[in-house]
Amino acid sequence: MLEMKRRRAPLAQLALSLMLLAAVTASAQVHLNVSKAFGQKVIVAVPLFELEGGTIVDPVAARDVLEFDLGHSGFFDIVGNREFVDETEIDDRISARIAFQEWSALGAEILVKGKIGGDLTEVYVEATIYDLAQGKAIFGRRYVGSRERWRDAVHSISDDIVFKLTGETGIAKTKIAFTSSVTGSKEVYVMDYDGENLRRVTRQNAIALSPDWFPGGEEIVYTIIKEGRHQCWRTTIAGSGTKLTAFPGLNDFASPSPRGDEILMSLSKDGNPEIYRLRADGTDPRRLTFGRSTESSPCWSPDGRRVAFVSDRAGVPQVYVMGASGGTPRRVTLQGNYNTSPDWSPKGDLIVYTSRVGGTFQICTVDVETGETIRLTSGAGQKEDPSWARDGRHVVYSVKQGGKTDLYMIDIYELEPVRLTSGAGDYLSPAWSD
Amino acid sequence: MRKNLALVACLFAVFAMLSLSGCGSREEVMVDPIDDMEPAEDVGAISGDDLPLAEVSDETVYTEPVSSVFTDIHFEFDQYNILARDEAVLQRIANWLRENDQVRVMIEGHCDERGTNEYNMALGEQRALAARRYLVGLGVGAARLGTVSYGEEQPLDPRSTEDAWSKNRRAHFVVSE
Repeated sequence: MLEMKRRRAPLAQLALSLMLLAAVTASAQVHLNVSKAFGQKVIVAVPLFELEGGTIVDPVAARDVLEFDLGHSGFFDIVGNREFVDETEIDDRISARIAFQEWSALGAEILVKGKIGGDLTEVYVEATIYDLAQGKAIFGRRYVGSRERWRDAVHSISDDIVFKLTGETGIAKTKIAFTSSVTGSKEVYVMDYDGENLRRVTRQNAIALSPDWFPGGEEIVYTIIKEGRHQCWRTTIAGSGTKLTAFPGLNDFASPSPRGDEILMSLSKDGNPEIYRLRADGTDPRRLTFGRSTESSPCWSPDGRRVAFVSDRAGVPQVYVMGASGGTPRRVTLQGNYNTSPDWSPKGDLIVYTSRVGGTFQICTVDVETGETIRLTSGAGQKEDPSWARDGRHVVYSVKQGGKTDLYMIDIYELEPVRLTSGAGDYLSPAWSD
Repeated sequence: MRKNLALVACLFAVFAMLSLSGCGSREEVMVDPIDDMEPAEDVGAISGDDLPLAEVSDETVYTEPVSSVFTDIHFEFDQYNILARDEAVLQRIANWLRENDQVRVMIEGHCDERGTNEYNMALGEQRALAARRYLVGLGVGAARLGTVSYGEEQPLDPRSTEDAWSKNRRAHFVVSE
């Protein structure tokens, strides 16, 4: 029986983490050991950005981007009372000093002061990060970029803050590819991970399916049903693409390897849907699975040595794991009778997948070694196609509810779904870049 | 001569219908009753020898309308095995294909909306492959039969009812020269 289960540190571990927090506060270290201190967030104040020069970029929007990035990273809580925060900031500017005690009184441990300026072509974003207990700046960053890419500059600062304070790689500059038929035909699109900056990638005027990223975040592989046949294509985000495969039957579920030199696919050219391993240019298919059952939806382990895929060899679709050169598959989904769409965490320990639970599709994780199964989502709405962010902490997936499908992301520790898309049309089949 | 022309005209109509609807219509195509046609009036300079012969290629002369041979077959929920009630349809298709051996068929596999989009693409392919395997077993050349899955992308009936779902779980045959 699948249970809705939060990842809670057991009591002993909680006691340990409280002790650690006390130690951290006493020594005024900033680094947060997140693997031990679940739930111990660092409290950050992000006042309104200072604007230099004219209003080239809206400083309110810039602050919103930074706040979203830090607040959703999983490591920070943002001081919620914006009015108090901004009043304190104005006082600082008037008195030309930083009132560390005032900031601490708001509950903040870290203060991020941002500045934005530039001209019509170029924008710079600056941030200085202060440790309030120490009463001093701990680092600063400045990014310069084109005006259109101002968001990237703010996202870069967010990632730097996350890394400096936690040692973890942030996701603020990552992207999500997906399909949408808002133009009348199903095409591949890309957006920033926060749901902004949607742009269309393909113009195939056909049915585009299951996009996935090559490492590096610049190229996407996808399937298209065009002129009555399946084909697999590879494209840059700018939209220049080449056909990789056009075997008879399926040319589906292409999944690039962690090094980008190979792809897994499901092909039915030999009479049955099987898993094949090909070169990244679509040549040299090597068959990995055999038998009469349906094999689909392959993905790689982060070290490239194993693969996970969906097979109905047990009568219903389940997720299996196998060596990347073939061999005997081992079933890893042990609960439920309809488990599909696996994606393997970049941290290597968990596979996220779609599971039919009591008639509704939910997103679950299974520990590859222990088999521990945890359901991430609950309630109404069909949730499908989960994909990991590179932090191994966030998952994007689609939710079909009330006749509309949108993309959501969820932190596997926080378990609070965050809606990413809201425009007209349906948003499906997401894949998170690294 | 007139009979051939009329037949060709009707067959063109059949093909137009097939390509427009994309699915097998069960309507019979009525051939114009030749007997009611008025005999030609004197047409002056045109003599019998100058009348152009209608180009009737062998492949457009069928013994029965394509649309009534290639009807959809259906499947149970989450299954891709051929149902007993469709065996007669597949037998009829196989017979026709043996008599018209220059024709190729693309077999489409479709699903209802209830599985995941991704798995339905594989399930649709299995449905098309099952039909193909059955036809090959009845003697049709495998090279003439292609498969394409549409998963749940193209339902015949977009509603969320048992009736709609059972219509959507289908293999559909698209004939090409």
